[in-house]
Amino acid sequence: MSSYKIDIPPTALSTLKSRLENAVFPDELEDSGWAYGAPLADIKRLVARWRDGFDWRHEEQKLNAELPQFTRDIEVDGFGTLNIHYVHKKSERGLGIPLLFVHGWPGSFLESRKIVPLLTAGSGDARLPVFDVVALSLPGFGFSEGPKKTGFSFTQYAEVSHKLMLALGYTEYVTQGGDWGASITKEIARRYGGEHSKAWHINLILAGPPATQDPSSYTAIEKDGLARFQEYKRSGNGYYRIQATKPQTLGYSLADSPVGLLAWIYEKLVIWTDAYPWTDDEVLTWVSIYWFSRAGPAASLRIYYEVEHAGQEVGSTNFHIPTIPLGFSHFPKELGRIPKSWYHLVGNVVFEVEHDSGGHFAAHEKPELLVGDLQKMFGKSGPAFGVVLGRNGYDG
Amino acid sequence: MSVELPFQISIPDSKLDLLRQKLALTEFPDELENTGWNYEEAKLNQDLPQFTKDIDVNGFETLNIHYVHQKSSLANAIPLLFVHGWPGSFIEVRKILPLLVQSSPQFPAFHVVALSLPGFGFSEGAHKPGFAPEQYAEVAHNLMLSLGYHEYVTQGGDWGYLITRIIAHKYGGKHSKAWHTNFPLATPLNFSVNPILFLQHLFTPYTAAEKAGIERSKRFEKEGQGYFHEQSTKPQTLGYSLADSPVGLLAWIYEKLATWTDSYPWTDDEVLTWVTIFYFSRAGPAASIRIYYEFIHSANGSQPSSFEPTIPLGVSHFPEELRITPRKFVHSVGNLVFQVEHSTGGHFAAYECPDELVDDLREMFGKQGPAFGVVPGKNGYEQRIRANL
Repeated sequence: MSSYKIDIPPTALSTLKSRLENAVFPDELEDSGWAYGAPLADIKRLVARWRDGFDWRHEEQKLNAELPQFTRDIEVDGFGTLNIHYVHKKSERGLGIPLLFVHGWPGSFLESRKIVPLLTAGSGDARLPVFDVVALSLPGFGFSEGPKKTGFSFTQYAEVSHKLMLALGYTEYVTQGGDWGASITKEIARRYGGEHSKAWHINLILAGPPATQDPSSYTAIEKDGLARFQEYKRSGNGYYRIQATKPQTLGYSLADSPVGLLAWIYEKLVIWTDAYPWTDDEVLTWVSIYWFSRAGPAASLRIYYEVEHAGQEVGSTNFHIPTIPLGFSHFPKELGRIPKSWYHLVGNVVFEVEHDSGGHFAAHEKPELLVGDLQKMFGKSGPAFGVVLGRNGYDG
Repeated sequence: MSVELPFQISIPDSKLDLLRQKLALTEFPDELENTGWNYEEAKLNQDLPQFTKDIDVNGFETLNIHYVHQKSSLANAIPLLFVHGWPGSFIEVRKILPLLVQSSPQFPAFHVVALSLPGFGFSEGAHKPGFAPEQYAEVAHNLMLSLGYHEYVTQGGDWGYLITRIIAHKYGGKHSKAWHTNFPLATPLNFSVNPILFLQHLFTPYTAAEKAGIERSKRFEKEGQGYFHEQSTKPQTLGYSLADSPVGLLAWIYEKLATWTDSYPWTDDEVLTWVTIFYFSRAGPAASIRIYYEFIHSANGSQPSSFEPTIPLGVSHFPEELRITPRKFVHSVGNLVFQVEHSTGGHFAAYECPDELVDDLREMFGKQGPAFGVVPGKNGYEQRIRANL
């Protein structure tokens, strides 16, 4: 294990600048807004900022100051050793509940940035539990190595995550995940639940449909959630279809063109969030992590292919349902959600919150709400209080 | 009356320099840096007589259209419009052109027009949303009229199939007299629409070729349609990559050139010429993919039953085409009068199997063929000189 500081080499920074200087832009249809994808004015403005004003070193320093980071070799059955990058911050008081935070695509460890201080804070209401937070860069993302062979799917992502927790001395822990993090933490709950993973919380719940349905019983929120998912499949999952079938073909573009990568990710940052007021530098920091990632941006797409070819695509029903307690927070601008009557396809929901704002990147958009939910779920009167023996988030 | 101007491809050195600069920043072998474009450009200009002309489109703007036009030495050759698709271009006419314009007592000759679709090659692209396949059809039809071809026939694959189907529906009878396609996209038969065909299909076992074709189609649907989904929903997002990265554009297109063909022995220079046309296209590579979006979003576009042409239809089946539909379905595509099965060849038929495709057209429109003489006064043969008795 070694302590880690993000330190992008100067040659990488100057190569990026050269490519941005040589940028060639497409035209755009008149008055097309967001209908055809990320608007040209936005991308041009972001590219100009990235090229001229954006100060990566400053952002890098801030990240290193805020998030204690490390790397560690983790052995993965059949795949050898992968060097994994992760954030690890212990609670500032008491015995923090070990919490593993798992990101998705196009996310990264960066999504833990706002919730880490809230989850670990020593000050604040002593009636609320505190956590030790581990937020890994999934293999192929951020500053973790990527797998070199095909077949690295949920089993392997879960294995890496679990082994990391064990290596940190957390034989019992809980998890939080959205996007791929929801699926990966489900796999953790299936494989390691009970003995190691004690409870899990997600902000994306998709599965089914079940064998029998009663659409007349669905509430307005449930109908809306299903409709949103149908719409996503109709008009919003082009990226998914190409990433799940030809990630390499797409990868050439994302590896070679920072403009192409920026547009590819920025589109999701905007359309998947609930009017989140992104600043340009926020977007550029997010995308720079992809551009400067250890395995390169093409590697991050492969999870879609591997999951698809293992028959585990999003929304598919996995027949071994985990039994450990599950909490779910619903944010209305999420890509979709399933009705309560389908929850049994996902897990044992003991805790549920409906919010009236927020979208897909809950930890980034609504950190206080998400943390509040976790504090309730694991707090003294919560349904998952004390699930981790000896570390209940309070003193002694 | 818009003026036809001769056209020569002539990419400025500054653009070539920028491309070289971009390629130099990648870690690719040196042979990709020197595309020999000037040589390829000169060959194209030599092989393909090209022109540009302004074409009006109802409800949209006037677009400057680039096209290949070669007349046969035979005056009453059959006017034929060739329509490409994506990721194709006017280059797909390159090999069939010299064969089609040939005059012989054995087979008919053609005058050939092969346009660059709006947004492709050296044609202007539409600037406003909503420019759907019907508009592409209108451009092609208006081009033929402007060249004095009030009656003509068509050949098309990929988007060329849909566009020539629309032409056959909207302008068929009066203007388009017959159409031929190598990409007969047919939807499953419906008993209420085609009861006899439906029953025939139900009770006729599939041939080995049909079974293989159905498997191929399923694989394509499962593994090969990612590009379609992205291009038909977020073409602008993808467009930034295709415009900015020649490597990205190359990979995006090369994958199709390799997987959609029947072991076609592409040379590197062949691939690079094909892709460079996209890279240096007048509207930029991002424009070419908008047709997918407009198709999905247009009122009629994605409904095959909106277009029901009655003029004679000829179909050539190539086994490595993307979608193979059972033969009975093909009858629902149009008024099928001619059908040929080949044992080799894929999606880019005119480029992979030029001889076979031209033979099919010669047979369909030839003296013994079902579409002989569809264009009055232009049957593709030497007029018999009446002996003065």
